[in-house]
Amino acid sequence: MHGGINRPEPGTGLKVHFKDSKGNHIKTVEVNEGDSILEIAHEYDIDLEGACEASLACSTCHVILPPEYYDLLPEPGDDENDMLDMAFGLTDTSRLGCQVIMKKELDDIIVTLPAATRNMYVDGAKPTTH
Amino acid sequence: MSIPLKLAVVGGGPSAFYVVSRVLQQLPQNSALGARLRVHIYDRLWAPHGLVRYGVAPDHPEVKNCTSKFDETAHDPRVRFFGNVNIGAAPINPSPDVTNLPLSSLLPHYSHLLLANGCPTPRVHPALSLPSSVCRPALDVVHWYTSHPASAGPPDLSRTEHVTVIGHGNVALDVARILLSHPSRLEPYDVPNAVLDILRTSRVKHVSIFGRRGPLQASFAPRELREMMSLDDVSFTPLSQDIIERSESEINAVEKISEPQVAGGQTLGIGTGYSRAQKRMFNMLKSGSKAHYGTTPKTFSIEFFKSPVGLEYSSGPHSVSLKLSHTTLDSPGPNARAVPSGEFSTIDTDLVLPSLGYIPDSSFFADNLSSSWIATPGLSHVRNNSGRIVDTEGNLIRNAYVSGWAASGAKGVLARTVEDARVVSSAIVEDYTKSSTGDSVDDQTQSSVLSTSPEITLDSIPSEVQIGLERGAVTTYEDWKQIDAEEIRRGQEEVVIGDLKKERQRMDWSSAKVFLSDVRDKTATSSS
Ligand SMILES: Cc1cc2nc3c(=O)[nH]c(=O)nc-3n(C[C@H](O)[C@H](O)[C@H](O)COP(=O)(O)OP(=O)(O)OC[C@H]3O[C@@H](n4cnc5c(N)ncnc54)[C@H](O)[C@@H]3O)c2cc1C
Ligand code: FES
Repeated sequence: MHGGINRPEPGTGLKVHFKDSKGNHIKTVEVNEGDSILEIAHEYDIDLEGACEASLACSTCHVILPPEYYDLLPEPGDDENDMLDMAFGLTDTSRLGCQVIMKKELDDIIVTLPAATRNMYVDGAKPTTH
Repeated sequence: MSIPLKLAVVGGGPSAFYVVSRVLQQLPQNSALGARLRVHIYDRLWAPHGLVRYGVAPDHPEVKNCTSKFDETAHDPRVRFFGNVNIGAAPINPSPDVTNLPLSSLLPHYSHLLLANGCPTPRVHPALSLPSSVCRPALDVVHWYTSHPASAGPPDLSRTEHVTVIGHGNVALDVARILLSHPSRLEPYDVPNAVLDILRTSRVKHVSIFGRRGPLQASFAPRELREMMSLDDVSFTPLSQDIIERSESEINAVEKISEPQVAGGQTLGIGTGYSRAQKRMFNMLKSGSKAHYGTTPKTFSIEFFKSPVGLEYSSGPHSVSLKLSHTTLDSPGPNARAVPSGEFSTIDTDLVLPSLGYIPDSSFFADNLSSSWIATPGLSHVRNNSGRIVDTEGNLIRNAYVSGWAASGAKGVLARTVEDARVVSSAIVEDYTKSSTGDSVDDQTQSSVLSTSPEITLDSIPSEVQIGLERGAVTTYEDWKQIDAEEIRRGQEEVVIGDLKKERQRMDWSSAKVFLSDVRDKTATSSS
C-alpha cells in the first residue's frame, strides 16, 4: 500500500531518516511539506501499520522522535494522548505518525519505530508434576 | 519436492487478516516459495472480520477503517474466504446453512494450520445466575446491537430503569454508552433500525459499573472513559472523597517504591509504577463529566472495591437485588489483588450485565485432535510458543500456529493484534523457508496432524465446503463485498438529519441470502 503522496524531485525535498527500534538506520527518504509521517512510511514501504487510516482511533502508527524535533511540534491534544496511552513502549517523545506533518523546521528528522515485538504468551513444556 | 504452504485459517477476524497479509507480503507471488502459497480462511459466521463487525461499537466507525487492509489481503488471488463454515467437533450454530466441518475433514487438505478463532465465550460468574430477563452477559447486548447471527435477542429496556454492569473494561463502557446515548446520537451510525426502535422505548436512567479493584487498576482505555464523560445529557456520579484519598495515597506509596527505576529512564508505563494511562484516567475520574451531576436526565457511576456474591429477585421497585462483598487491595500497585474486607452491601437494580472477559470456545477443543492444545486450568488461551502451538506434553505441533485473542487470551485492542501478527507471521515464514531448504525445523519433539505430502493439491477444498458453495450456503469474499456495497447503499437511502445519511443498513443472514441469490440469478440471466 502506498501513501498516496508525491515524491519530490531528488535533491529538492525535506529529509526523513527512519530507524528501527534498535537504532539501526532503515532508510532516508525525501518528502514534501505537508506529508504526514504515516503517509511517508507507506509511500516508502516502512513497516508502520496505520490501522485506522489517520483518524486517531488506534495507536499502530506510533513513532519516537528526538527531543529537539519533538519540541518543534505543537503539543499532542487529549485525543492523541488517549491513543498514545495504548501504544507499546510509550516514551516522553512518542507521537502518532499520522499526526506529525512535515514542515521546513523538521528537515532531517530521525523517526524511530517502537520496539515492535512484545513477548507473546510462552507456554513451555508440560509443568512437571511430582 | 518439499511441501507447499497451504494454510487453513480457522476464524476470519482481524488477527487472521493481519497474519495472512504479512505472510503474503513476505512471500510474494512471483517468488518460488510464494507461488506455492495458498490461504483458505474459514469463519463460522457468514460475514468476515470477527469482532470488527460484531464487536466494535457502532459509534466507533474509525476503528473499522482497518477493513480496507483486510479487503486488500482477500484480493490476493492466493487467498479464499469461506463463511458459514464452523470448524470443530461440535456443531454450535443451529442455522441449516452453516456447514459443520470437523478438524479431521479439514486437515487432510492442508499442510499448515492457523487458529485465529478468538475468545468468543463470555466468562460467567458463579454468583450471578438468574434468567436472562434480569441477568445476561454484557456481550449479549453487543450481539444485539451488532445483529450478531447468534444474538439471543434484545434486552427488555421498556421496563429497565437501573442497569448494573460488572467489570471495569472497555466492553462495559461500550454497553453503558450505547444504553445511555440518546437514540438520535446513534442514528447516523451502523445501528440497525430495529435496535434504534428498542432504544427509543428504553426507560434506562442510570448505569452503575462495578469493579472489585480501584480506579488505578481499572482496564478501561482513556478514550472510552473520556467519551463517557462527554456524553450529552448524561452525568457522572462524582467519586467519593474516600476513594480519591485511597487512590492518591496508593500513587504516593507506589511512586516511592519505584522511583529509582523510573527516575533516569525514558520509558513511561512500564515497570512497577502506574502507567501514564492509569494516572490520566484517575484524573478524568476525579474531574468528572462535562455535564454537571444533578443537571441531567440520565446518570452513570463507576463503583470500586465491590464484588458480586449473590443475586435474587426483589419485591422493591426494582427487579432484583445484588449483594456485594466489599474489598481492599492486598498491596498498592497496578497488579494488586482484591481481598474481601468482610463488609457487604446490597443494591437494587433491574438488569445485571456481567462483563468479565472472554475465553476460547471449549467446544472447539473438545476434539481429540485439539484437546491437548488448550491451556489448563482456566482455558484462557491456546498453548503456544511465539505463535507455534504446543500441546500439554510440551510437543510442538508441526506447522500449526495460533494468533490473536486465541493465542494471547482476550486481552488488548487491535494494536496488540497487529503486534502479535508480526510474531506469528514471522514464525510461519521462517519455519516454511527452513523446511523448504531441507533444514530441520527444530529439535523439540514435534507431532504432526497436517498433511505432509508434497503432492497435496494446492487448490483442493473439502467436499462439504464445495457442496455448501454450490447450495449458496457457504459465502465467499466476493459475496461479502456485494453485501457490503448493498448495506452501504441502503444506508445512503436513509436521510438522518439535513443531508446526513446513515453509514450503512446492516443485513442479517436471511436478507443477505435473498440478496445474494438475486444477484446470482441476475448474473446468470445476463450471461446466458
Ligand atoms: C465488544 C468488543 C468491542 C471491541 N472494541 C474494540 C475497539 O473499539 N477498538 C479496538 O482496538 N479493539 C476492540 N476490541 C478488541 C478487538 O476486537 C480484538 O483485539 C480483536 O478482534 C481480536 O481479533 P481476533 O481475530 O483474535 O478475534 P475475533 O475478532 O474474535 O475473530 C475470531 C473469528 O473466528 C471465528 N470463529 C470462532 N470459532 C470458529 C470456528 N470454530 N470455526 C470457524 N470460525 C470460528 C469467529 O466467528 C470470529 O469471526 C473489542 C472487543 C470486544 C469483545
Ligand atoms: S493511524 Fe490510527 S491513530 Fe494514526
